[in-house]
Amino acid sequence: MTPMADAVPLLRIAGLSAYYGELRAIYDIALDIREGDILAIIGANGAGKSTLLKSIVGLMNRGEAAHIRGRVEFRGRRLDTLETEAIVDAGVTLVPEGRRLFPRMTVEDNLRAGAFLPRLRPTADRRLAEIFGLFPKLRERRRQVVSEMSGGEQQMVAIGRALMSSPSLILFDELSLGLAPAVVDDIYRKVREIHAKGVTCVIIEQDMRRALAVANRVCVMLEGAIVLEGAPAELTEDAITAAYFGSER
Amino acid sequence: MNEDLYWMFIDVANGLLSGSMLGGYYAVIAIGLALNFGVMRLVNLAHGDWLILAAYLAVAFLSMANVSPFWTLLLVVPVMYVIGYVIQRVMLNRVSVQAAERRGMSASFGLMSPLLVTFGMSIVIGQGLLAVFDSNAMAIRNELSFDAIRLGEDLTVSTLRLIFFGIALLMLALVQFFLHGTHMGRAIRAASDDPEIAALMGMNANKVYAVASGISLATAGVAGVMIGMSRSFQPFDGPTFLLIAFGVVILGGLGSMVGALVGGLILGIVQVLAGTYFGPSAQLVAGYILILFVLAVRPQGLFSR
Repeated sequence: MTPMADAVPLLRIAGLSAYYGELRAIYDIALDIREGDILAIIGANGAGKSTLLKSIVGLMNRGEAAHIRGRVEFRGRRLDTLETEAIVDAGVTLVPEGRRLFPRMTVEDNLRAGAFLPRLRPTADRRLAEIFGLFPKLRERRRQVVSEMSGGEQQMVAIGRALMSSPSLILFDELSLGLAPAVVDDIYRKVREIHAKGVTCVIIEQDMRRALAVANRVCVMLEGAIVLEGAPAELTEDAITAAYFGSER
Repeated sequence: MNEDLYWMFIDVANGLLSGSMLGGYYAVIAIGLALNFGVMRLVNLAHGDWLILAAYLAVAFLSMANVSPFWTLLLVVPVMYVIGYVIQRVMLNRVSVQAAERRGMSASFGLMSPLLVTFGMSIVIGQGLLAVFDSNAMAIRNELSFDAIRLGEDLTVSTLRLIFFGIALLMLALVQFFLHGTHMGRAIRAASDDPEIAALMGMNANKVYAVASGISLATAGVAGVMIGMSRSFQPFDGPTFLLIAFGVVILGGLGSMVGALVGGLILGIVQVLAGTYFGPSAQLVAGYILILFVLAVRPQGLFSR
């Protein structure tokens, strides 16, 4: 890799705003995500975290009411004009809030659905085996219908399904929401393993301490804007708390 | 041997046998509707008219080439697939449940508007067939119509019905395999459940729905040729077959090919047995009474979970 390539971020967001009808949910966002980052996004409910991730993968451009303005570039290529299908094909994917699995389908069918794109099909079996290696429990339960599984297991399926598209960048929306602490520990171990294989990760996390522990960069959102950004070592808990609540202290 | 007991046995055996054969044929008539309704949540009121259109297509093909009626499938099935694909892309995708949800409207609104669109389509197809073929009853002539295979002294089965039954099993197995064992089949189930997440899987939901509707009409093509080979038909016969298809789907439950087969078998057997014991006029009535009964006690269908 040339030194220049290091200088160009994997994902560059500039002047990004997203609207639900007339309502602006995020406001003039500028953010660079470098290859190899684990970026944690924290912020209160309604701060625009999910909207930001949805904007990156094109889900804010699908309905007739919602739309985005601004630029999103992935490896120098514009994503903001692409459909979600093409964005996923380019190597960016999202693990959605609440998992959003296909409830009537089995574990294996859910995972295989993630390898729908023609370029992924020839290698789908190999990646399925890798995912079963990462989550051995899913191999045992491959024939089970996912609606019968626990929240933690469903989160594993959701992560596995996203990995089936062999992404370079994964966005995790509310990774640990609603899961038992022991399960969350396990999920975070898996995220580290995924990251170690060279996948850049963005995680929306409610638990500030967890976010600081796992991430090499943290950004705090408030009322649709990024109000604080930096490496965990540079940021004090007080500064983050202040940014989170928007209080001047 | 007790003579009465023997004839009772023959009546029941005959009812089960020819009822099953009829049931396979009913299942084929219903596959397309079950796919649209059960998987895509699209109620296609024009389903019966598409069946009749396919029968007319076969007649038109046979008037140009003097071959066995089974060869017409080679033309009818692909033509119906293309019609289904195009209709879904240019019309139904704009009014589907998924389109309504995407616009932020309720799913029930999305169930209503395709009803109106496909009802209109049903009228257009019927009138179109009338304009092109006039109202005389047509049939697809074939040598098998009066053939039967003797299974015993007093037990026979129609050769044509037996062939149809074989085709039915083959088609149900193929569609079931397609839905569960192929990328496109999984995509159809996924995109119907959650189009937004399907897009995250790299699926273009509108194209996926179009393929599903294409397959739905392709199966209607086979069913239409079967209808034409087993009876005479006229341009406005569509609703009769729509009712049969609905009956099968209601009895068997939504979206499962096994359900379509079971629903077809029940409807077929009940009709034939009712015909045997209460006379021909009881056939249809018994079928519909059964459907009403099932709707009253198990509206989700006998076999859906």
